[in-house]
Formats: sequence, structure tokens, C-alpha cells
Amino acid sequence: MVLLQIRLRGVSDKRVQNAMNQVPRHSFVPEELVSQAYADHPLPIGQGQTISQPYIVALMTEKLKLKGDERILEIGTGSGYQAAILAKIAKEVYTIEIKEKLYKKASNLLRSIGFSKIKTLHGDGYFGWPEAAPFDCIMITASIDHIPPPLLKQLKNGGRLILPLGNPFSYQYLSLVTKHDDQYTVKQITGVLFVPMTGHALDQNRTVTDDIP
Amino acid sequence: MILTAVFLLSLSSLAFEVLLTRVFSISQWNHLSFMVISIALFGFAAAGTFLNIIDTHKKDWEQRLSASGPVKIFIILYTVTAIGSFILLNRIPLDYFRLPLEPVQIFYLLTAYLLLALPFFFAGLVISLAYAFIPEKTGFVYFASMAGSACGAIIPVPFLPLLGEGRFIILAALIPLIILPFERPPANKIHTKTKTISRGKRFALQASGLFIVIIAGLLVSMGDGIGIKVNPSPYKDLSRVLKFPDTRIFETVTGLRGRFDSVQSPYIRFAPGLSLKFKDILPKQWAIYRDGDTPFFGYKLQLQKDEWFSRFTLPYAGYMLAPNPEHILLIQDGGGSGIPCAMACGALNITIVEQKPQIAHMVRKNYNIPVVNQNPRAFMAQSDNHYDIIHIENWGSSIPGSDALTQGYLFTTASFSGYLNHLTENGILIMARKLLLPPADSIRLWAGAYESLRSLEFENPEQHIAVLRNWSTFTLIVSVKPFNDTVVLKDFARNMNFDLVYLPGITKEMVNRFNMFDAPYHFFEINRLAEAYRSGTEKAYFETYPLDVAPQSDSRPFPGRFLKWSKLKTLYKMTGSRFYSLFMSGEIVVSVVFLEALVIAILLLMLPVFTIKKQDKKPNISHLIYFLAVGAGFMFVELFFIKKYIFIFGDPVISFTVVLTGILIFSGFGGYCSQRIGPGGLRNVLIALIAVLILVFLGLDPMIHGILGFSKILQYALAILLLILPCFLVGLPFPLGMRYLLNRPAQRAYAWTANGCASVLTSILSAQIALSLGIPIIILCAAAAYLLAFLISNTKIIGQK
Repeated sequence: MVLLQIRLRGVSDKRVQNAMNQVPRHSFVPEELVSQAYADHPLPIGQGQTISQPYIVALMTEKLKLKGDERILEIGTGSGYQAAILAKIAKEVYTIEIKEKLYKKASNLLRSIGFSKIKTLHGDGYFGWPEAAPFDCIMITASIDHIPPPLLKQLKNGGRLILPLGNPFSYQYLSLVTKHDDQYTVKQITGVLFVPMTGHALDQNRTVTDDIP
Repeated sequence: MILTAVFLLSLSSLAFEVLLTRVFSISQWNHLSFMVISIALFGFAAAGTFLNIIDTHKKDWEQRLSASGPVKIFIILYTVTAIGSFILLNRIPLDYFRLPLEPVQIFYLLTAYLLLALPFFFAGLVISLAYAFIPEKTGFVYFASMAGSACGAIIPVPFLPLLGEGRFIILAALIPLIILPFERPPANKIHTKTKTISRGKRFALQASGLFIVIIAGLLVSMGDGIGIKVNPSPYKDLSRVLKFPDTRIFETVTGLRGRFDSVQSPYIRFAPGLSLKFKDILPKQWAIYRDGDTPFFGYKLQLQKDEWFSRFTLPYAGYMLAPNPEHILLIQDGGGSGIPCAMACGALNITIVEQKPQIAHMVRKNYNIPVVNQNPRAFMAQSDNHYDIIHIENWGSSIPGSDALTQGYLFTTASFSGYLNHLTENGILIMARKLLLPPADSIRLWAGAYESLRSLEFENPEQHIAVLRNWSTFTLIVSVKPFNDTVVLKDFARNMNFDLVYLPGITKEMVNRFNMFDAPYHFFEINRLAEAYRSGTEKAYFETYPLDVAPQSDSRPFPGRFLKWSKLKTLYKMTGSRFYSLFMSGEIVVSVVFLEALVIAILLLMLPVFTIKKQDKKPNISHLIYFLAVGAGFMFVELFFIKKYIFIFGDPVISFTVVLTGILIFSGFGGYCSQRIGPGGLRNVLIALIAVLILVFLGLDPMIHGILGFSKILQYALAILLLILPCFLVGLPFPLGMRYLLNRPAQRAYAWTANGCASVLTSILSAQIALSLGIPIIILCAAAAYLLAFLISNTKIIGQK
């Protein structure tokens, strides 16, 4: 998978390649789809959500240019796979999931396979995680048509935010927002197709888990 | 009896068709509604084919079937299938986006086609029976059919707002049942062969009718919970916003112009082109969605600081160039962020032109600003005022390509000239749109501005145009004075982290800095086009560019249309080789529907050829061509006027209602008068008709431009006046042909099929002709179709008779 789908497509960061080699992707997909776990496409994980194609996971991770000492916020835990990849490289990973079932499932799974440093939260990722801010990097793994201002606020100077930006029901551009003092640049990377970011959960209904419960 | 049935069924089926268009416009998109309804209308033509097949098995079928009993049964079947198909359709999980992925969706689509074709089949059966059964009175049948249809076109105007789509569909379907209690006494029979029915059967039919009315009454009175509520597509903006907590629809207004849902939600956030430098909270907003999409957003601007955010939006760049403006004209067509811009700049007078009455009312109420509720082109034609800033706001539909069939006159070259002529000597024109990649809209608007400036004899037109963008929108600015000093725009762009795309004197290093693509595509293309204009090679540029980005004229005004058929493969690859992205293009849908329609038409027309064994009873090719030509000609004329009158009324729904009602009334009157025309008159009628259509082609444009300057009432009156002669004449060839060219009932049923097939095919073809060649070509196609009918009638058939 790493050679054919990731390295040959231009993802050259060794840390990312190693992480993709180490994290057992088959643990994050539904049992009936295990045989396709390493296939070159996204897979459904229930609740109308998907686990992204391995290449997109690797590409998004590489574009954050991680060195190993970063604090990262992920919006949209989903299966937990992307958080696990990030945790292999970065120092601290915070991840928020809006769908309660997915949140519980991913939290238990991450704990059971040894990713105890990942902090998970059930809530609306649009508002970020102010108590844990600021972050070096933020990754949104659901499509949205604007850049959430609360997340920009929670980004450190020099920080990077990667997200699928565009019409949630058409295609989007994977975009990298970089903050330099008070200046922002938005770099369009490639066309992607993500499930829409939803806002079912209210801020006040959030359930926090420090480490894994 | 049968004439009354024809009248009532024509009324009900046309109202059903109009209402289905409304239902699909909400539950899907306009171009997808086109797909289902076009195919369903083949139900009419199928009735003729069915009668032709019956002809081979049963003698005197026209007498048996047109008797009171069978006609009443067909009416009951019409009502049951119309109500049933609507309710079932509302429950079928048909999802066009999944068509390429889920085979079951093809089954759903076919089911939708079949379900909706059934009521049209039963209505068509009664009408074609009437033509077959009383050939000596085809003019009266035609009149009854057209008069009924005209009423069907007009009744949704008063009743739709009162009843809503679902309830009105059910009640409209019940209308033909009125005939059930009545039976003509034998002495008053319209035809000597008319049969009456026994009292027992009559009672059974009346009881069935009563039963249906009771069930329908229950459905209507039980409200929205039992499948008659029409919900917007889950992909539309309204469905998306309703998923958020504390979000509710606080007002719904239904009418022919659309369903307008006003929504309150703390999660509504509309600020296109907002700089990432804006850190504060946006003012509270509400939204009005038309048919679940193309929202208009209102802002609750209680304090002056609430307008502050608009100074951080991209279109505000234009306002920076005209400090302290006295008079601003804001032309709104969706969106709504232009109003805070105009208010934030401190203008003394703001005039808002908003065409939709519902939105105009809300804007007036919310902002306490005078709003002109008028077609913007008519406003420009009637106004002598000059403005410091004219701001056009139109963001298009929520999914690119889905509005390719939508006619719009805000961005044609003639419109640009109109705006420029209404600017003061330091005036600024601002246009804000979504940014597309590959570049499309931005190139077209730049070219439109350039050509307009050139036509108004501005020196160096490119010196008067600027384009800026962020990651998702662009703003085109046209200045009456050349951009000699570009510092203001450069500073604004840098401070807000926006990018320059086109500005006199800028270089590659000054673009693509904050919102970066792999390359500065928009800068490259607009500069290439500017160079092409300088060297006089702009035609070559537009021919070689993968998309159709040439500036649009009033004859071909489709601002959302960019497809070039010759570059389809390139476009497919450019959009990621995804089938669905092409499928969302209205134009692709038109072509798919045309192919489907062609297959169905061939089947319906060929079936009798193969099933009828006796050579002398087989359909005659000359008859077929005549009625295909007459059906096509009629529909070309109808579609031409509908498309042309959108220019006057600004709204396709108003144009559709005016033209449809007019053409049906006047052609119905033509049909009535055809009873007095002898066999030799057909030739003269066709010559006169062709001459009138050529005159319309040559003379209508200047007339409708003139009409634009009159008051609303005069606009309606003159528009209807112009319809009288051509529409009267198009009502003659069909009944005359039916009466004088055909001998047997089966031939008349076949002519009905041919007419129906031609109508459907032509309506689809007209959409493509307008997109590719322009609207005026449609009327030439009508003249060509009638010329073909003339040649056929003049040679072969008359010779045979």
C-alpha cells in the first residue's frame, strides 16, 4: 500500500510513510470490509461517514510538515485512523467527533490498540477545543464551505490548518491555511471529495475524555 | 359529453404538469425536473399508439371506447393515477446523484417515468378518441383541448398560494370527475353513433367517483403527514441548514414563482468573499430559500458596527474606489451581502432592485430601504438616474453547472452597456460571483465588460477593468475612468489577504500570493484574452479555450452555461474524470433526455408499423411527416415566445404562464375557426403562417426592447397582443390536417401520436438550440417545420385525396 499508493504518488515524508506502515488500518474498518482495508479508496464506517483513502490520509498528514513536537487538533475523528497516524508522528493529538456512536467506538478502539496519548472529545468541532488551544496544526476531515474562524483563532503563529474547502455536496479543494502573524495564506492542493461537516451537536452537550475513559 | 371530457382533462392535466414542475423544482433541480416530466409527457403520445394497436384487433373501437361509459372510466383512471403517482413519487428514494453508482436508482427512475406517464396516457386517450371519433368536428375538439389547457395554465396562479403544491395537485386531479353525474340525453348526442350507458353502470361509476373524492378529501384534510408534503432535495442548501439545532422555518409563501421558505438559525453564516482578517462575530442572519436553494440572506444590523464586516469582503474593493458615494444602485439576485456593503460606505441614497416580490418585501421590512420590485433590465430601460456605484450581486446556484439552462440577462454585453450608461463620470460597476476553476465566469465577465466598453467607444477598455479574488469568489470592477492609480486596490488586496487577478500594470509576481493555486490560472487566462483582444484574435481564443467563455448576448443569455461539446473529453478529465460532475450540467441532462425521448418516440411511432399486418392500414409516411412537422412547429413557436418573453418579465415562470395561456387561447380560437376553412385553405394557412414567423424573427427583437420601457400593465398587454396572430395561425394546421388529410380513425390516432412525440422532442431540442445557437434560431426552426408541412400537404397528400 505504502509503496504503490503513497510513495509513487509523491508522498515522500519518511515519518508519514513509517506511520502508514505501522498503524494497522484493518483495525479501523468494519469487520465485513477488512479484506478491502488497504484498497485504494475510502470505505464506509457507518453513520454516513467514511475512512479516507490511504493516499489522502498520507497527503493531508504530509502537508502539515510535522517534525514530532507538535500539538495537533483533528476535527472529525471518524474511525480514529487519521488520529492514530498523527499520533505516530506528533507529540499530542486532540480529536473531536460529533457522532456519539463513532466517538465511543473510536475512543475504545484507540485505547485498545495502544494510542492512549490521543485525547478524544464528543462535540461540534466547528468551535474547536479552546481549553486545549493553541495548536500547531489543525486538520478538518469533513468538507466545509468556509474556514471556521474559531479554529483560526486556536492556531499558533506559524500554524497550519488543512481542510477540504468548498461546496460540501459537490467537490472540494484540499486547502492548507497558514498563519503568519496576522497574515493568512490559503494554498489549494488538489480536488477531493469528503463527507459534509455536520452540526448536530451543541457546544454545551460536549463530553470530554481526558486520555481514554 | 366527449368535448366536455376533453376540456376538463386538458385543464387538469396541464395544471398537473405545471404543478409537477413546481414539485420537482423543490424536490430536485429545474433541469432534473425537465428530465422526468419530458418523458412522462410521452403518455399522451402513447395513447395514440395504443389505439392503433387496438385497431388491428377490434372493429368499431372508436365507437365503443368513446361511449360515455369508457370515457368515464378513463377519467376515473386519470384521477386515480394522477393522485397515486404523485404520492408514490414523493416516497420513491430516487437520487440522481447516485444513478452512476447504484443500479437500483435506474429502477426508481424508470418507475418515476412510468408512474407519471400514466395520467397523461389516460388524458391522451380521451383526447385522441375525440379526434378519431368525430373527424368532422376536429376544430371543436382542438378548441376544447386548447381552452381547457389554457385554464389549466392559469388556475395555479390564484390557487397555488392558497393550497400549496401537494393539496392543489390532488384537487386539480379531481376536476374531471365533475362530469361523472352527467349523461347527455340521446337527443343531444354530439354524434349519431354515441352510445349511452345503463343506469346500473352509471351508478357504479358515480359511486367510484364519490369514493375517490372522499379519499382525496381525507388526504387533503389530514395535512402533510401522509405523503403530500413536498420536501426539498437533501443536497439543497435549505435541507442542509435545517439539520442544525435551533433552526426553523418561520414563514413559507408558495406561488408560481416558487416556494419561499424564510429560515431562522444561529448557524446561518453568509459572508462570501470575507477576509480571514475579520475576527469579530458576524451579525445575526436569516435567510429566504427559493425552492430550497439560491438563498437570499438578511442581516440584523441593529448598530452601525454590525455593518463593519462588509468592509472586509471582496466586493467592498469597488466601494474603496468611490469614497462618499451619493447614490448607489444595488441589483440583487440572490445573496444579500451587497446591502451591508452599500450601507457601510455611508451612501446618501441606496436604491435596491429586487425582482422577486417576496424577497423585495422582506428587504423593505428588514432594512427600511426603498426597494424597487421590478425586472432589472426594465428598471434600467425606464430610469434616467445616474449612480456612483452600481453593484450586481448574483452568486448562482449551490452546485456549479446545475443552472446551465437558466436564462439570465444580468451579465450580457447589452446589460454591461446599460450599467455603464447609468454611471456618473467617476462611477464604478461591481460584480461579485463564485470563483470557478478552470477559469470560466471570470473570463466571460471580463470579456463582456471589455466588449461593452469598446462598443461605447472607451479608449483602451482594458484600462477600465480590475479583477480580484479570494479562494472562492471573485469581484469584477469596471471604472468609467481608467485605472491610472492602482494603489487603493493593491493596498486593499494586501491588507485583506486578497489576490489581484487583473489590474493594469500588474505582473505575475504580484498575483497568487494569499490564495494560492499551483499556478495563477485566472491571471494567465485573462491576460491571454486581453492580448487576444489587442491583436484582434479574440475569436480564436474563444474557439480554442476548453470552455465556452465568450461574452453573452441578449439572444443567448445563459450565464451558468460553459460546456463545449467539442471539448467534452478534455472537460471530463479536467474535472477529475468524475461522471457525476458532468451529470450535474444541465446541458448534459438535456442531451441524455433527448436520447431517451428519441428512443421512446421511435418505439411509439414504429410499434403500429410492425403490429399492423395489413399493408393498406399501415401508417403513411407522408402523414407522419406532416404531423411531426406541425407538432414540432407549434412547440418551437411556444418555446420561442417563452424564452423571448423572459427578457420582458425577467422571470421564466411569468413568461411561461403568459405565453402558455396566450398560445392556448389563441390557437384554440384558431382551431375553432378552422371549422369554417375548406380543404384548399390549408395551403394558404401554412404560407401565411411561415410569412408571419419570418416577420417575427426579423421584427420581434426591436419590439420587445421597446416594450421594456413601458409600465407593467402595458408590458403584459403588448406582449399578449404580439402573440395573437402567430398563435392563432399555429392553431390551424393540426385540426385542418386531421380533417382533410386523414380518412380513418386509426390514422387520426396515429397523427395524435406523431404530434405528441414531436412536441416532446421539440421542447427538449429547443433548450439545446437556445444554448448553442441562440433563441432567435428557434423561430426559424418553426418556420422550417411548417415549410416541411406545406411541402408535404401540397404534394403527396393532396394528390392522394
